[in-house]
Amino acid sequence: MFERRLYHHIDWGLITAVAALCGLGLANIYSATGGWTGIVQTQISGIVLGTIALIVCLSLDYRSLADKSHFIYIAIVALLIYVLFFGAVRGGSRRWIDLGPVNLQPSEFAKAALALVLAKFFGESRRWSVTRVDLLIAGALTAVPVLIIARQPDLGTAVTLIPVALAIAYVAGMPMRLLGTLAVVGVLAAPVAWKFALQDYQKERVETFLNPEQDARGAGYQQIQARITVGSGGLWGKGFNEGTQGQLRFLPVAHNDFIFSVLAEEHGFAGVLVALGLYLFVILRALEAARLAKDRLGAYLVLGVLATFTFQVIYNITMSAGLAPVKGLTLPLMSYGGSSMIATLAGFGLILNVRMRRFTN
Amino acid sequence: MAAGEDRRRITTRLTVLQVSVVVAFAALTIGFWYLQIVQGDRFAEMAENNHQRTLALRAPRGVLFDRNGKVMVESRNSYTISIVREHTKDLDRTMRLLAAVAGLNVEDVRQVVARHRSEPTYRPIVIVEDASLAQVAAITARRLDFELPDVVVEEVPTRQYPTDGLAAHLFGYVGEASDTQIGNGIAKGAIVGQSGIERVYNNLLQGQDGARRVVVNSMGREIRTLDESPPVEGRRVQLTIDYDLQKAAEDGFRHAGFNGAALIMDPRNGEVLTYVSLPAYDPNDFAAGIDRATWASLNSDALRPLQNRAIQGRYSPGSTFKIVVATAGLEEGIIDDDFRVNCGGGANFYGRFYRCHLAGGHGLMDVRHAMEKSCNVFFYTVGNMLGVDKIHKWAEKLGLTGKTGIDLPNEQESLVPSTEWKMRRFGEKWYAGETISVAIGQGQVSVTPASLALMMATVANGGTKVTPHLVRAVDEGSGWKMATPPAVANAVVFKPSTLAALHDGLWMVVNAAGTAGRARVPGRDVAGKTGTAQVISNEGRARARGTTRDLRDHGFFVFFAPKDNPELAGVIFGEHNEHGYLGGPIARHIIETYYAKKDGRPLPVLAPKPAPAPAPRETVPDPDSPPVLEDAAPVAAASLPAAGSRQPAELGTR
Repeated sequence: MFERRLYHHIDWGLITAVAALCGLGLANIYSATGGWTGIVQTQISGIVLGTIALIVCLSLDYRSLADKSHFIYIAIVALLIYVLFFGAVRGGSRRWIDLGPVNLQPSEFAKAALALVLAKFFGESRRWSVTRVDLLIAGALTAVPVLIIARQPDLGTAVTLIPVALAIAYVAGMPMRLLGTLAVVGVLAAPVAWKFALQDYQKERVETFLNPEQDARGAGYQQIQARITVGSGGLWGKGFNEGTQGQLRFLPVAHNDFIFSVLAEEHGFAGVLVALGLYLFVILRALEAARLAKDRLGAYLVLGVLATFTFQVIYNITMSAGLAPVKGLTLPLMSYGGSSMIATLAGFGLILNVRMRRFTN
Repeated sequence: MAAGEDRRRITTRLTVLQVSVVVAFAALTIGFWYLQIVQGDRFAEMAENNHQRTLALRAPRGVLFDRNGKVMVESRNSYTISIVREHTKDLDRTMRLLAAVAGLNVEDVRQVVARHRSEPTYRPIVIVEDASLAQVAAITARRLDFELPDVVVEEVPTRQYPTDGLAAHLFGYVGEASDTQIGNGIAKGAIVGQSGIERVYNNLLQGQDGARRVVVNSMGREIRTLDESPPVEGRRVQLTIDYDLQKAAEDGFRHAGFNGAALIMDPRNGEVLTYVSLPAYDPNDFAAGIDRATWASLNSDALRPLQNRAIQGRYSPGSTFKIVVATAGLEEGIIDDDFRVNCGGGANFYGRFYRCHLAGGHGLMDVRHAMEKSCNVFFYTVGNMLGVDKIHKWAEKLGLTGKTGIDLPNEQESLVPSTEWKMRRFGEKWYAGETISVAIGQGQVSVTPASLALMMATVANGGTKVTPHLVRAVDEGSGWKMATPPAVANAVVFKPSTLAALHDGLWMVVNAAGTAGRARVPGRDVAGKTGTAQVISNEGRARARGTTRDLRDHGFFVFFAPKDNPELAGVIFGEHNEHGYLGGPIARHIIETYYAKKDGRPLPVLAPKPAPAPAPRETVPDPDSPPVLEDAAPVAAASLPAAGSRQPAELGTR
């Protein structure tokens, strides 16, 4: 099943950039957590397991994977429902399946599963255009995991599933008019959502973002500290392991949600440019894979995986500079987190898979 | 057709996404550029403020020594308990817990915190100064349990004054710098001298606060010290005060049982040996931040313990002023040793009859005997011959006008009237009749005890008006350096005959049949003069009857010793003690102590006060008692200025 010639079509550039980002993440976790800790070791295991997942996702033909996508989708939804009732509770939400030494977060894997099932749905469509019925079905397929994850509650992860559907539907030919309508509905729905849908703590986060000094001790604290952390890095940064904001714990969860702030503090604008450059390279390179894909299925699959990745990267980096409301969204490839790492690398396995097999039949 | 179109649409839309991503990344880059490059310095400073603290290390104030090297005021270490709000989640809980643990009133704690609310949150708010060891132990235990992580205990140097309030008005007290004192090297929250020596020599005594820069974590805990500049202790200052004489004086007052003031100096150079003002406060109460209740009680106390009587209280000098009139008469050549006045118990001047205190009269009096007996008629006569301006001139030469120039804050000016003064002050001409009252130290004469001490020093040393001063030497960091004594304000050389007459007369007051026999020290030739200062006119007294105001007269005793080549000169002021001669025993105790010390003998100790017997009302007429005016001519009385409470007109009928 893995032909030798495919090996020559592996995108080594992309792999190198992904590996470099993993390395950067590791170095900053090391710095933020104060050395060779269990956190660093867990992250390394995550990378190793992720690499295995990547190789697995690379080896199987994505078309056969897509053929089984409904099983994968159903399995993930089942897992999500299981978690909702029997998952391990941490920090007030049920997200994890306790597997002894490791905790698995199924919602991370829902992203790839959703990408697969939507790519299959749009890619195998006989029609050349997208009908409203198609969109409704796609919307329903997306809504099921989104709502379940939101119930955990993990609004952050739930939201990251929406770009998957949007990106695939957009490229699949969703009429621009419909897109505009969606945008208008979104804007109009915002106040309604504000009033009825958002929890108080969520409203508070948004209010805090708009005026962080108002609550400098509480929720605004992280945002102010994030700006100070990033800003104080200057051009060249304070040096590896020399960041005061991360080291002295002024920035909460520095190794997780705010890993990019740590990088910005210790390596300055120069380091930020390198990291942004790597991420941009990875995204553009992956978009290239979508363009080169042999079929629509491949292109949509790449897009689906890439959409959630890109959304998370941009949102997290914006947030880590204190320029967006604080949300529990990790930075893929760099933040601490085993499930996220494994799922992200598996996703890149799919992207590499599509590109690698662009000449096969 | 559809496949190609589909392909193209995918390509176009992919390009749109590509461009969007590039735009988003460009925006991020601009965002980071703005934060890190444009605003980088500002955030770097904020990050520094986040984790670096500069802690002030308070410098101990300079030690004060007496003239013999005995330590009088020093610094000790005390503990302060403060709240650092920086990482406080629930300030009210912290305040309540702290109050409970340290045994404080939670409302007081709230008030203190409220007063400092606008300060940076990392600056400690001092809640308890000079905390007890029990409080420190209780807080430290809670701190270790993380119950009170935002409460800190610091060791700071605190001023330590003699515990019995000795020389309190001389030393003054320290306190937090007021808003007007800030600047010129004095930072907010600095402890500076607020009164007395502490204030005048604050620059010398204050020292240089040090600082320690530390790294703290987000919990406010110190991680390590970056650098430290140690505090520099204030200069050590040696005062001219003699501890033993100071103690003798204060013991003397305590023994005599009245309040007042005393200032004794070396008439040869103006070095102040003893400086007393009673009642006093305990400067230690201020050293560690005075509490509201103590401050309020000091301020509302009817005895006014915060008034520095020796330089701030102004009184009519009474008979002690006769020294000025005698000096003026002799120096102006208006009288000489043989000039005599017949005292028949009173005399008429300008249509009024002015009484002498001895109803039967003193008979023929020369200047020496007039001083001895404090004969009013003699001095009425001489004063009348001199006129007020000549009296004023010699009062000024003796140091009885204006300020003495002593190095203490807020000295009041002494006043001896003149025609020019009256014109300036009231726009009225001087009436010759007023001079008669002035001649015996009544009327508008209003002087501080310190100026009377200066007068005695000038008389003692033969006319040199020295400036009383309190600092003998300063340790500039490289050993003791004698302080430059202040310049002599002005010097006249009295005629030997004047000096002889004055010294003889004053000697007779103490050693012959005068009023101050209680100050006599055998073999030491003490010379002096008593005086009584009316607190209120006789009329006023009648009006004030029934009030709680203390209307008893004040008594002065001015002296120097020995008569020839005097080494001590000064004043004992007894507040409401009614008789100047009651200051005599205090002076005697000081003088005896002085000589015992000089000769190396054990210092005298005052015998314990006898049990207070039901004191019979004084029956012997006090020669210093205010003279009584009889047959007051209404016209003359009406012509007198009606300002102040010590008017001649008020010497009227009893």
